[in-house]
Amino acid sequence: MRRIYNTIAVIGNPFTTFILHLGRITALFFQILINLTYSFKNFRLIIKEIHFSGVRSIVIITVSGWFVGMVLGLQGYNTLERFNSVSMLGSVVALSLLRELGPVLSAILFAARAGSGMTAEIGLMKATEQIDAMSVMAVDPIKRIVAPKFIGGIIAVPVLSLLFNTAGIWGGYFVGVVLLHLDKGTFWSQMQSSVNLHDDIINGLIKSFIFGIAATLIAVYQGFIAKPTAEGVSLATTNTVVSSALTILALDFILTALMF
Amino acid sequence: MENNIVTIENATFGYEEDKPIVKNISLNIPQGKITAIMGGSGSGKTTLLRLISGQYKPNYGRVNVFGKNISTLSNSEILKLRRNLGMLFQFGALFTDMTVYENVAFSLKEHTDLPKEIIDKIVAMKLEAVGLFGTQHMMPQELSGGMARRVALARSIALDPQLMLYDEPFTGLDPISLNVSAMLIKKLNNALGQTSVLVTHDIEASLKIVDYIYFMANGEIVAAGTPEEVKKTNNPIVRQFVDGQVSGPFNFEYATTLNYNTYMGLNNQMEKFS
Repeated sequence: MRRIYNTIAVIGNPFTTFILHLGRITALFFQILINLTYSFKNFRLIIKEIHFSGVRSIVIITVSGWFVGMVLGLQGYNTLERFNSVSMLGSVVALSLLRELGPVLSAILFAARAGSGMTAEIGLMKATEQIDAMSVMAVDPIKRIVAPKFIGGIIAVPVLSLLFNTAGIWGGYFVGVVLLHLDKGTFWSQMQSSVNLHDDIINGLIKSFIFGIAATLIAVYQGFIAKPTAEGVSLATTNTVVSSALTILALDFILTALMF
Repeated sequence: MENNIVTIENATFGYEEDKPIVKNISLNIPQGKITAIMGGSGSGKTTLLRLISGQYKPNYGRVNVFGKNISTLSNSEILKLRRNLGMLFQFGALFTDMTVYENVAFSLKEHTDLPKEIIDKIVAMKLEAVGLFGTQHMMPQELSGGMARRVALARSIALDPQLMLYDEPFTGLDPISLNVSAMLIKKLNNALGQTSVLVTHDIEASLKIVDYIYFMANGEIVAAGTPEEVKKTNNPIVRQFVDGQVSGPFNFEYATTLNYNTYMGLNNQMEKFS
């Protein structure tokens, strides 16, 4: 009988832990919302966070976008050639990036570059008692540290996604037009005729915005629950990247099903 | 009758209720005095300090600070209460992404609407008080451990708090810095009319500056008295601590049900030899 109880406990434990984290992260989300006014009053804090999480991610985002666009150009060209439709390359590259790859990959790269940094920063502040010191100085750390990071993150991700898309489209152009000698006018005109502002660009941006909320929230939450040790901070940083990637991919499926 | 800034009545606290770190403690911190809480590592001193600062709430009993019961206060009320409270952390806990100036000016900027020129002057005054005027532009990483602690002290007195809490202010300091810090605490307490609570295990420096001492062991208060009473007392716990005796009522070893000899298989070896 005891063995049955233990088995049920072992199976149930991950689910109860997941629900516990979900509850805590939701509570943190509402605490952040309550404290948003302070961040907007101290806009320099948001600017600092946009610089940390957004501006410093520009290189990795644009370079990755460029390569993803080039791969799309190559793969798209080879596939379309089989059906004598290479003229559609511009559309394929643009739609793949705007609808899916841009929002998803830029959010995952953001989580890996900036989200992990946010977690490590908050975790180390906790380990060195800086969070406690702030709290004892009658300043709520959620208001002063977490809320500006959150706003910075949700502003940065959609902008980074746009940069990823732009770099990707130019990457596709480079492969299709410059290397494979596709007609330049065909490339752009096909893209222009098939890309819809609302369905493709706006929906992609909505996705990015939601991914930004998820990735930033996970990053600050993991920082706050990190054990105040070197191993604890390291584990929290890894958890941020893994949880963010899985959450973004799961959300992408749900949003795609709802939007398209 | 003395006016007590902090009153603790039968307070018990533990992260798990069946494993209390602080057990049934009662004490008073009178206004204007420096009170030391002493005891070995792991005796519950810092936890007691965190109960006073409202970082922890007692599982049982009452902790009254400025006449308010910490347990009944909401988070925002605790934050409000902390504006009259300063705390010096063991390793300073300076904000590492801010300069010395920004660290000291932090609470002034957060809680007051003072113009920059006034904040600049207050920061300069506080840094001068701890002997570090001129370090405003420096980053915490550029400071020595002792300097960082003094900057943290300047930061914690920026709003002239009525109650100052010091967590191990003398740990890791050289003898000169240690005496400078001790005198600074005394000077600030008297000059600013503060009340101070000092958690420490440094007997020599503390006896010079404090008005009253509580001794803690295993989460309980085991003795209390003025520095003179402490020097003269025959209480074995206090004597062991003050004289640094290796053997005595304080148990150095971790309380475990395991037997070292049995664990290492030494009993069998003994039998073989005998």
